[in-house]
Amino acid sequence: MFKNITEWTLVLGVFGIVATLGNWIGYEVLPWEAIPGIIILIVVSVIGLILEKIVPGNLPAVGYIGLIGIIISLPWVPGSEFVVEWTSKVSILALATPILAYAGISIGSNWADFRKLGIRSVIVALMVFFGTFVGSALIAEIILRWQGII
Amino acid sequence: MMGKADLRGILKDWRLHAVVFIIVCVTEAIGQFSFKVGPGVILLLPMVYAFIIGLALFFTPLVNEKMAKNAEPLIVLGVTLLIAKIGVTIGPQIEALIAAGPALVLQEIGNLGTIFFALPLAVLLGFKRESIGMTHSIGREPNVGLIVNKFGFDSPEARGVMAVYIFGTVFGAVFLGLIAGFLATTSPIHPLSFAMASGVGSGSMMVAAFPELEDQIVAFAGASNLLSLGTGLFFSIFVGLPLTEKLYTLMSNRKNRKSVTHKGGNPNV
Repeated sequence: MFKNITEWTLVLGVFGIVATLGNWIGYEVLPWEAIPGIIILIVVSVIGLILEKIVPGNLPAVGYIGLIGIIISLPWVPGSEFVVEWTSKVSILALATPILAYAGISIGSNWADFRKLGIRSVIVALMVFFGTFVGSALIAEIILRWQGII
Repeated sequence: MMGKADLRGILKDWRLHAVVFIIVCVTEAIGQFSFKVGPGVILLLPMVYAFIIGLALFFTPLVNEKMAKNAEPLIVLGVTLLIAKIGVTIGPQIEALIAAGPALVLQEIGNLGTIFFALPLAVLLGFKRESIGMTHSIGREPNVGLIVNKFGFDSPEARGVMAVYIFGTVFGAVFLGLIAGFLATTSPIHPLSFAMASGVGSGSMMVAAFPELEDQIVAFAGASNLLSLGTGLFFSIFVGLPLTEKLYTLMSNRKNRKSVTHKGGNPNV
């Protein structure tokens, strides 16, 4: 377990360094301003990964991580103003860019499988957006009418 | 899921990290572009170039098979940071979320629309488990995180969700803008309902179509977008994903049975 924790932290550390520099180049936040926020995010992630292993049940790590993130940034939780202030220096897009760079490299080795998705996946994606949109609009219509807003 | 990977070896794969580092520097330096198309925008973000460059580099001597394998755990772990970031963005807005009330919470149920519209289509088009990743949700960051966390990155589910995620990042706003504008003017559903449904991206379009409702539309669309990030993750974990998996199993069983009887041509059936 301890070995896991060190390794997660180190890998997230490498990732954090790349993201911090991307954050600097793309969003003009100096690295030392972003580092406290990155560290908070890494700690939250590692705690979530630990909880996934030790807590019985099927909640995936991302569930714990989202929950911890929400809790430590709630206005009435002591210290949340620092969490919010520091993490606000880390752009969500700066985190996404290295993920997608690694993803591109990784998908390269599965290119045959990925290419098979092809134009059919575009059709499905359009239907995903259409379905979500129409489904949400219908529910919204029912509720807004029921509330007498429209 | 991370048990078998040798994270220490991955950590020492400096060539991989250096390549990614250079990709990130170059793409962030280029920055983002957006083109106005009709009622929406086509959005080109550094992450989209990073994906394409990473993919292209795999076919050069710069990247080898081992590096591609080593990249997988970094995606899985990197996504956790994204989820943590989304979490700390939601906390401060909790009062706005609670104030938004039951309408917005129940609206999450409407997102199940994707499962009922898109899953049958995906299965019909011949997708296997990719269809679960594609259609269990609208495929934004929390959903990518969930799928990668549960199935790993080298899985059909992850390929499916990545396809929708990347396509949605570039073309989602345009497409939602187009259908929102079209449906808002041609269907009997009220524009505010569409504003709630659209979240960010098509809010501006709705305002263009119904300027007298501007403030309300912006407020509804904004609250809705925030909520779909916050509740979307948990809704996917507990409802969306299990439901999609169940329906997928049902549908693929039926499809298999059909094709078996077809081929078997048993006259007694």
